[in-house]
Amino acid sequence: MSVQRVAAVAGEGASLRDLPGRIWRSVFRSRPVPSTELERSQAVAASFFFHVHSAKVHERTLKLRTTLGLGLFSLFSFAILVATGVLLMFYYLPSPEQAYQRMLDLRGAVVFGTFLRNLHRWGAHAMVALVFLHMIRVFLTGAHKAPREFNWVVGIALLLTTLFLSFTGYLLPWDQLAYWAVMVGTSIAGYAPGVGPQIRFFLLGDDSVGREALLRFYVLHVVVLPAALTGLVGLHFWRIRKDGGLARPSGE
Amino acid sequence: MSTQPLRAGAAQSQVTRRSFVNLVGGAALAVYAAASGALALLFLRPRVTYGPPARLPVGRPADFASGTQVVLPEARLCIRRQGDRLAAISTVCTHLGCTVNPTETGFDCPCHGSSYDERGEVTGGPAPRALAWYRVTQAPSGELVVDKRDQVPADTFLEVRS
Repeated sequence: MSVQRVAAVAGEGASLRDLPGRIWRSVFRSRPVPSTELERSQAVAASFFFHVHSAKVHERTLKLRTTLGLGLFSLFSFAILVATGVLLMFYYLPSPEQAYQRMLDLRGAVVFGTFLRNLHRWGAHAMVALVFLHMIRVFLTGAHKAPREFNWVVGIALLLTTLFLSFTGYLLPWDQLAYWAVMVGTSIAGYAPGVGPQIRFFLLGDDSVGREALLRFYVLHVVVLPAALTGLVGLHFWRIRKDGGLARPSGE
Repeated sequence: MSTQPLRAGAAQSQVTRRSFVNLVGGAALAVYAAASGALALLFLRPRVTYGPPARLPVGRPADFASGTQVVLPEARLCIRRQGDRLAAISTVCTHLGCTVNPTETGFDCPCHGSSYDERGEVTGGPAPRALAWYRVTQAPSGELVVDKRDQVPADTFLEVRS
C-alpha cells in the first residue's frame, strides 16, 4: 500500500464530511465512466436493473418495432397487479358473509380504494389482452419455431396461468355476476370426460359454489398462481437468452 | 464400460457405478414425486363440506296448496302438489348449473336460453338432460324431506296424508 493510499484512508476516517459519500459507495458499486467496449458491457452486466437484457444484444432487439414491447408490458401489468393486489388484501376478507360488503367498502370507505380496485381490474383485463397480443406477435414473427419451441410452451403455461388468475379473481367480489360466472365456468370443467366431476369438486371444494370455493379461489389467486407465474416468468426470460436472444431473420 | 475390469464370473456389463446410482436415485425421486402428488391430491380433496346438506327439510304438506307449485330459491327446488301427491323438481339447469325460472309452459334458464316443459323435459336450448326429480319422503313429524342424492324418474310423486 502506497503512502498516499494510507493517508487517504486515514483522512476518510477523520472527516464526517466524507460520511454520506462513504454510505453511498457502500451501497452502489460505482465505476468510472466506461471508455472501452469491454467496460461498457461490464457496466451492463453489473447492473441489476440492466440485467433483463444481456450485455450484448442484436441491434434489432433494441428496436421497438421488433416486439412492440408486448412481453415486457405484460410483465409490467403483472407488477401493477401484484402491487395493487397486496394493497387490496389489507381490506378484503374471503367469506360469503363479508366479501361483497368488503368490496363495496373498498369503493366507498377506503382511501384510494376505488382507484386501487379499478387499477387492479383494468390491469387484469390489460394483462390478458397483452399476453394474447404478445403471443400473436411471437407467432407472426415465427419466434415460436426452433430453437425456441420450449419457450413457446412456457408461454402457453404463462397464458393459462394468466387466464386462471383472471378466473379466480373474478369470483372474489362475490356478487351475482361473479357467482354465476364461476358456476358456469366450473360446470364447463365438469364436462371433461371421465374426471370432469372430480375436477369440479376439487376446484369448488364442495358440490356447489359456496364458502369453500371462495376460500380456494382466494388462496389460488393471491398465493399459488402468482408464485407459479413468477417462477414461469423467470424461466421464460432465462430461456430467451439461452435460445440466443430474440428471433430475427436468419441472415442477420 | 470396456475399460471396466471384469469380475470373476460376471458377464460383461454396461452398468457402471455412476449409471447405477443415477438409476436408483432417479427412481427414488420419481417415487417420491408421485407420492407427493398423490398425497397433495388427497389433502386437497375435502372430507367435510360446508355447503347446504343434500337431504333437506322443505316444510309440511299443508304449506303447499293443491294444484300449485312453489319455488324454493335457497334449496333450488320446485315443490309441486297435485291433490295429495307431492314431488320435488330441481331448478338447477342441466347445461351449466344456473337456476331456471318457472314459466307458463315449464321452466326457462336465464343464462343460455335452455327451456323445459312442465315435467322438466328439454324443449329447447343447449341443455343435455331433463331437470332432475328427487325423492320426497315424509318424516314421522310430518315434515317433508327431499334427498338430492336420490334422483327418481319424472312423475314420481309422494302420496301424503291430509
